[in-house]
Amino acid sequence: MKFFRTADDEPRLKELKGLSLFKELSLRELRELDELLHERTYHKDEVIFDEGDVGLGLFIVVSGRVRVVSSHVALQQLAPQFGPGEFFGELGLFDEAPRTARAVAMEPTRALALLRTEMVALLERNHRVAGKILFELSRTVCRRSRKLALSEQHSPVL
Amino acid sequence: MKPASGPTVPTWLVIILMTSFIVFLFQKILWLVVPGLLALVLYYCLQPLVQTLVQAGLRHHDAVKVVAALLFLATVLALLGLLTLASSRAAAWQETLTYYEQGGLEFLARTEDALAEKLPLLRKAGLLPSSPTNLDAVAERVAQRYLGVVLLQVFHWLPSLLLVPYLAYFVLRDGNRLKKEIIRSVPNAFFEKSLLLFNRVDSNLQSFFIGLMKLTFLDTVCLATGLWLLGISFPVVLGLVAAVLAWLPYVGSVVGCVLVVCVAATDFPKEPVTIYGCMVLFLCVRILDDFVFLPMTIGRGLRIHPVLSVLMLFLGAAVAGPTGLVLVLPVLGVVAVIIETLAQIVADHRLRSRFRQAQKLKTLVAGLGV
Repeated sequence: MKFFRTADDEPRLKELKGLSLFKELSLRELRELDELLHERTYHKDEVIFDEGDVGLGLFIVVSGRVRVVSSHVALQQLAPQFGPGEFFGELGLFDEAPRTARAVAMEPTRALALLRTEMVALLERNHRVAGKILFELSRTVCRRSRKLALSEQHSPVL
Repeated sequence: MKPASGPTVPTWLVIILMTSFIVFLFQKILWLVVPGLLALVLYYCLQPLVQTLVQAGLRHHDAVKVVAALLFLATVLALLGLLTLASSRAAAWQETLTYYEQGGLEFLARTEDALAEKLPLLRKAGLLPSSPTNLDAVAERVAQRYLGVVLLQVFHWLPSLLLVPYLAYFVLRDGNRLKKEIIRSVPNAFFEKSLLLFNRVDSNLQSFFIGLMKLTFLDTVCLATGLWLLGISFPVVLGLVAAVLAWLPYVGSVVGCVLVVCVAATDFPKEPVTIYGCMVLFLCVRILDDFVFLPMTIGRGLRIHPVLSVLMLFLGAAVAGPTGLVLVLPVLGVVAVIIETLAQIVADHRLRSRFRQAQKLKTLVAGLGV
């Protein structure tokens, strides 16, 4: 029985390690996190979530591309797109407020979903892992907010 | 204005009907339901240990194997210890049992006499035996009538109970994978709601079973302390047995109280104050249970209104007897979450239209492939 393994043994963990949100996590932390992630595949033009839906969690793009459109004036001009390694719908991780935009797959897309209920469970069980993810999440959100404030056409907070 | 949250009246009717039907069904397959529930209890108790090992660096499957091995070792050691103890003290235990059985019957006979003396009408109405009870004959009759049944039940339940560790092991090992596979098969439009449903059901079951364990521990501590202060023999064993019997709402507490009263009556045949003390103790623990412990442990987890809980207990008892009494609340908790979420999905036209759009895209992609 082989107890301890490296990332090379597990391509899935290697894939997770390559995502910006999880880059600070160790192998064992990634293994624990992997239990909570749900992989989804979307066809081109399929709606991932809709504006007004109750936000239940965030999505991380593994492959493909996602376009975000909104009826909100501030977001209309931006029409951000998310590629591999980027995440969207992050506000759904913090509250049950309605989504502010619609996310649509621009091409066949593979995404990982992390739901609030499971993130809360992780936070209660393992502060260290949850803390690292939340810190990375906050950094990206800050960066997006700054760019939004400077009216740069880049990924806003959704 | 924010729309009213929570299930509507028709939804509640469906929930109550479904709960009654499931409880009725469970009563018919009790041989499978009991090991399943015990396996779930074991799963929720062992899951934190598995998580700790995963955090320490073990893969999930290896962590489960380690925990299962530890559990097996602990069970074997406990059984060996019990067998050693039983072989050396079997005679003493049998004597003690006979002693307390006699004591209980004597207490019964004394109570009968006292009642007949104070209220002679009861004997005239045939509610009390016309002649004094022959204790030896009663003991023999009870043994003849019930001993075979009890032994038969033990052999009947043994194979089912052997399923408990087996089921618990596979739930620990593959439970999350199974959940992920089920979720994977759900269409994208309903995925988030379905996952939320799974997490709520899991959380409700965990709250109930962990709550039940906590409640049993609190009841045992309170009863054991009270019985010890009253000077009753075997306070911890009696406290534990009475706490486990209390899993059967209402009836269990009464049976537990009768058991303790029998012991008290044998230990102190000339001191009715001690017997009344036991009854008061049980009453106090019952009140503490209903107003402090239960809301702190199980009630908080399941979030069921007290009135509905009581009504469902009566309904459960009417539909499936004692089995219904035990199972109705956890089943209600789970069914309420499932029906509530399904009602939300059915009522959400946006989700349904997204599902239809995804189906069209799927057909389109399949057509392009051809």
